[in-house]
This record gives sequence, C-alpha cells and structure tokens, in this order.
Amino acid sequence: MRSHFDEQLAELHNELTQMGAMCEEAIAVASKALALGNAKLTDRVLSLDGEINRMERTIETLCLKLLLQQQPVARDLRQISAALKMITDMERIGTQAADIAEIITFLDGRTGEECEQIRFMAETAGQMVTESIDAFVKQDVILAGTAIDRDDVVDDLFLQAKSSLIRLIEEKPADGGYALDLLMIAKYFERIGDHAVNIAKWVVFSVTGMHKGKQI
Amino acid sequence: MTKKIFKSIMIVASTVLIASLAIIMGCLYRYFSDIQEKQLEDELSLAVIAVEKDGRNYLKELQSNQYRLTWVAENGDVIYDTQSDGESMENHADREEIQEALQNKEGKSSRYSTTLLEKTIYCARRLDDGSVLRISVSSVTIWVLILGMIQPILIVVVVTLILSVVLASRISKHIMEPLNSLDLEKPLENDTYEELAPLLNRINKQHKQIDMQLSELRRKNDEFAQITYGMTEGLVLLNEKNVILNINPAALKLFHTDPSCKGKDFLTVERSREVSRAIQEAFSSGHSEIRMECEGKEYQLHINRIESNGAVMGAVLFTFDITEAAFAERNRREFTANVSHELKTPLQSIMGSAELMENGLVKPEDMTRFVGHIRTEAERLVILIDDIIRLSRLDEGCDMPFEIIDLYEIATDVVMRLTDLAAAKNIKITVTGEKLKIKSVRQLLAEILFNLCDNAIKYNKDGGRVEVSINRQGKSAVISVKDSGIGIPPEHQARIFERFYRVDKSRSKDSGGTGLGLSIVKHAVQYLNGKIDLQSSPGKGTEIKCYLLFDRHY
Repeated sequence: MRSHFDEQLAELHNELTQMGAMCEEAIAVASKALALGNAKLTDRVLSLDGEINRMERTIETLCLKLLLQQQPVARDLRQISAALKMITDMERIGTQAADIAEIITFLDGRTGEECEQIRFMAETAGQMVTESIDAFVKQDVILAGTAIDRDDVVDDLFLQAKSSLIRLIEEKPADGGYALDLLMIAKYFERIGDHAVNIAKWVVFSVTGMHKGKQI
Repeated sequence: MTKKIFKSIMIVASTVLIASLAIIMGCLYRYFSDIQEKQLEDELSLAVIAVEKDGRNYLKELQSNQYRLTWVAENGDVIYDTQSDGESMENHADREEIQEALQNKEGKSSRYSTTLLEKTIYCARRLDDGSVLRISVSSVTIWVLILGMIQPILIVVVVTLILSVVLASRISKHIMEPLNSLDLEKPLENDTYEELAPLLNRINKQHKQIDMQLSELRRKNDEFAQITYGMTEGLVLLNEKNVILNINPAALKLFHTDPSCKGKDFLTVERSREVSRAIQEAFSSGHSEIRMECEGKEYQLHINRIESNGAVMGAVLFTFDITEAAFAERNRREFTANVSHELKTPLQSIMGSAELMENGLVKPEDMTRFVGHIRTEAERLVILIDDIIRLSRLDEGCDMPFEIIDLYEIATDVVMRLTDLAAAKNIKITVTGEKLKIKSVRQLLAEILFNLCDNAIKYNKDGGRVEVSINRQGKSAVISVKDSGIGIPPEHQARIFERFYRVDKSRSKDSGGTGLGLSIVKHAVQYLNGKIDLQSSPGKGTEIKCYLLFDRHY
C-alpha cells in the first residue's frame, strides 16, 4: 500500500519537474523571441502554454486522487498541497510567457534595445524560475531562499525600466505605443518573478512546514 | 531450542513416571491381594471349623468388622449374616462362589461395586451338612489407590516441570553459547564441541567462495569505475524507471550535479524536455540522439536502450563534447559558402563585360579596357584557385621535400619580387638579420614570406615601411615581418587566420587579396611545426613572427 503511494508521490514529483521544465522553456523562448525580434518563435511559446495548461489539469487530478484515496498526513500532505499551489503559479508563468509572446508580435521586429533593463529582467526572471524549480527538484531550502531574494532585483529593474521608458516617450512621442508594449512586457516579467517567489515559498513549506515564517 | 529440549525432558519424565507407577502399582496390588486372599482362606477355614462346632452361636458372637460371614443353606437361603439380617436377604443360590462351592466344595469370586470404588472378594466352602459358609472382605480398588496418590503425583509432576524448564534452558544455553560466540570470520579457529566441526568446515568453504566472488566483483567494479572515471565522455546508466544507477565524473560535471544523485530520477538532474523526450524515445524505439548546448559548449547525447532476454533493463546515456567538431563543421560550411561566393564574383564580372561586348555595346576604343578587365578578373580567379589548391594541399598534409635552405636568401628573393609593388605605394622594404640555414620546405617558406610581405605592403600607408628580419632566438629561427600599416583591431586578431576572413569587408576588392593569404601562412607554419605570434595595434602597424625550430629538421 505504502509502496504504491510512494510511487504515486514520485510520479507527482516527476510531473511537477516536467511542468517546471516547460515553464523554463516558455520563458527562455519568450526572451529569445524578444531579443531576436522574431515573431515566429512566439508560436512555440503559445503551444507550450497550452501544454502547461494541460499538465496543470493532469497534476491537479493526480493530487486530488492522492488526497482522496490515500488521505495523507504530515509531510506527504504538505507535499501534495504544496504541489496543488505550485501548479497554479506555474500555469500563471506559462500564461504570462504566452502574453509576452503575443506582445512581441506587435513590436514589428523591434527588440526593445532602447530599454536594456528588460533584457536583464527576462534573464533574471528566467533564472528565478530555474532556481525555484531546482529548489523543488532538490528540495533545497537554501536555493529557494536565493530565488526569493532575487525578486528584489527584478522589482528594481522594473522601476528602472519604467523610468527609462518614460524618458523614451518624452524623447520620441511617436514611439509611445511601442514603449507601452515594452512596459507591459516588463510588468509580465516582474509578475513571473513574483510567481517564482511563490513557488520557492511553497517549496520551503513542503520541506519545513513553514509558510512565510508561519506554521500552517 | 529451549522449547524442544523442554518437551523432550517432559516426555521422558512423564513416561518414566507413568511406567514406574504402573509397574509398582501392578506388582504391589497383586502381592497384597494374594496375601488378602490367603488370609481370607485361613479365616474361612477357622470359621468353617467353628461353625460346624458351634453353629449359629459362633457367628452371633463373632465380632469382626473386617470380615463378613454369610451362612447360606443348601437351597441358597441365607441362614445368617454377620452384618445384616439374614432372613430378609434374597436367595444366594445364583451367586458364583456359592454355586462353585456347592459343586466343588470351594468357591471363589470377586465383584466390583457399581462405582468401581470397592472390590469385594468372596470365599465360600461347603460344610459337611451341605450348607455353605461364605466369607467376604471389601477392599478399595487400584483406582482408588491411585486417586489417593494424586496429590503426591501432582507434586512430583510440578517439580518435574520446574526442573525440566530450568534444565532445558540451561542445556540450550549450554548448546547455544558456543554457537553464538563462534567467530564466523575464522571458522576453523573456534574451540567448540566436535559435533560442530562439519558445520564450521562448510562455513569455511563458503567463506572462501564468497571471498573469491567478492574480489571478482570488486575487480570488475574497479575496472568499470576506472574506465568510466577517466573517460572524457559522460556516461549515465539508467534503470527502466529512469533512475540513475551510475554516473561518471564527466557526466556529473556536464549536468552540474554531485554523486548523491545516484538512485534518484534522471529528471532531477536534467529536466529539459528535449532530453526527457529523447530518453523516452530511446526506451520505446531503442536508440535516440540529440544535441544540447551547455555553457557555450555543444554536446551530443546518445541514448541506447539496454535489453536482456527481451525485457527492458534500462538505458545508457553517452555524452560527447562536439564543440570542436561543430565548430569545424560550421567553418567548413562557411568556407564552402565563401569559396563559391569568391569564385562567382570575378566570373560575374567577366560575364558582364563579355555580354556587353557580345551585344556590340562597347565602343571599339573601349574594347582594350574591357578585354583588360576580363583578363585581370580571370587572373584573380586563377590566383584564387591557386591559393585554394595550395591550401587544400596543406590541409591534406602531402609530403614535400625537405632541404637545407638559407632563410636570409629566400627573404631577399621574396622582397626582390615585391619591390615593384612596394615602390608603387612608396613603401620602403628592407631585409635585416643573419644568414640562417634551416632544413625546411623551400616552397612553403617562400609562400610564408611572400604572403606576409604582400599583406604588409597591401595594408600599409602611403610612404610606410616594411621590415623583414631573420634572427635566431634560442632553438628557433624567427622570421619577423613588421609594417607601419593600418594595424588590426583587437577583436579581429583571433580570426584573421581563418579562411576568407576580412577585417574590412568592403576593402577586399581594392586590395586585390583573396582572404586566403594568412590562412596559407598559418597552415604552412603548422606544417613546419612552427608557431605564429601576432602583435598589432590599429593605426601603428603589425608585426607577425614565425618561430621555426632548428633541431627538428637538422
């Protein structure tokens, strides 16, 4: 009985890892599409988003099945409930990567080089997602902490990006729409960072039982 | 063990107890009943004499609790009984002992009471008058005796129980103690009872076998570890559930993980979807290959399914560093593209001029210019093809004749050939240094010097200088060509030896170079086992030094 349960937990772990890998890929492709101004890559992000959504359903079903059939307690319960929370964040990451990809198609091949912070943001947000997924895979609380701390960097970059985009609008009012598109992209990257932080926090919870410093 | 010994002791003890009880009881009981019978007979004889003499009075006066005397008439009626009223007693003619006495003068019988608790022995004798006198005595039966002994027997049983428990545990302890304290590592050195010797021998034999198998296993394991440890290729062994069984250091480094990943799912090490998909493909179809990039290096992953007796046992994953191969492949592709482009450009120009002439669009006075143009382009083509042939010859590394050559002489020769070109640009070209003899390939040395000097002149300023010097430095001869030209920007310095690489792509046409000169120099120096050193600063000039070893060819 227990061994079957262990197998199911391992399966859950694997599926989550795969879903995390998809999120990483979605961000990486979205960043690449932005850097190259290549609207063709955006199709891939959109299809990845679809896959991520399907994966969310699969994992959700598996989690509910585990909760109902095995009635887990303690650490197992934490793992499953954390998984349920994490897939929501991963799904948001996928959707936001798809949103970024969609905006890229409006940029007409421009790469946002006027605002170099966006490139850093894309890089850092991607790194955060990788770190939080890594933290999950290795059940590493310290790595999760690194990912959480890195959010400040992304937030700072967003503010910088905002002011440099304001300058861009002031200098070239004709580029107003373009600047706003870039601002949206920056905001999405900032949101992706927040979701990565959430994932990292749930990793900490599933390992230690503490969420945001509280026992729950 | 204790239980078994206890059981055996108990079985032995109870058998002995029951048997001895039965034998003793049987013997004694019979002995006593014999005595009793005799006594009874004696009493009867006395009573018979007395009754014959005294008749009823004797019986009346007889005060005995032990015996019961019954006087029975010949027809069976009881005449007198010492313990009850004779008249009221039933007729005794059918009693066994009476019948017997009537017939044989004496009769005997014994009867049990209904409860079996009492046994009555009867003895009867016919008197002279035909009546019968019967004496009887009641005694307890053997069962009553045994019943009476139950308390002591129970005590004995309890004592036996306790004794056997104690004994059993002691014996088992005694048996087991040497067994438990056996030194199984050295079975033959134990000092125990001899019954254990065969067991110890067998253990010893098995020990040897295990040792042998273990060392064999260890050796194989060591071999495997040695092979995989030193490999530059990464190797990962997976079982059928995608769990890592073994991973070598190269793979550990590639996947940024540590040996603790053994026993975990491969996904925890590398979760990229391409790799996961490739592994799945390998599991389903037997083999898969993918390329993956990691920290600026390119790797090729080969995944093979492992099967044994038709069952999938796992997969083996090999990683090869193909950075260089991929780089070479890219270079080759670039080279092919460049060659075609470079060959096409002069041909296009020739075709254009020829077409103009064919359609009569060229005035007769311009004809010479056009034909001259065709000729120069054709010349360029020939030079280019010559260069390519030379390069491919160097690439193939075919044998070239080594001879003893004076470097200084070759340098002056080459410079002589280039004086016109230099003069056209107002460039002063000088040769300095010493006469150095070296065993080398004349053609290649001339090639090296010519290309270096040619470049030095081509990419020079008007009125510049070119200094060629031949020197000895340690074990090498150094050919140095220094110019005061335009120099090479640092970002291009690493690439100028590549084929068709141009620092300034737009200038290529005017300078008339093919973009192969330095590439030929590089290959020629490599062929001669030399080294090239480049020092250049934009705007100031370039110095290229070629180091050629002496002793290698002498």
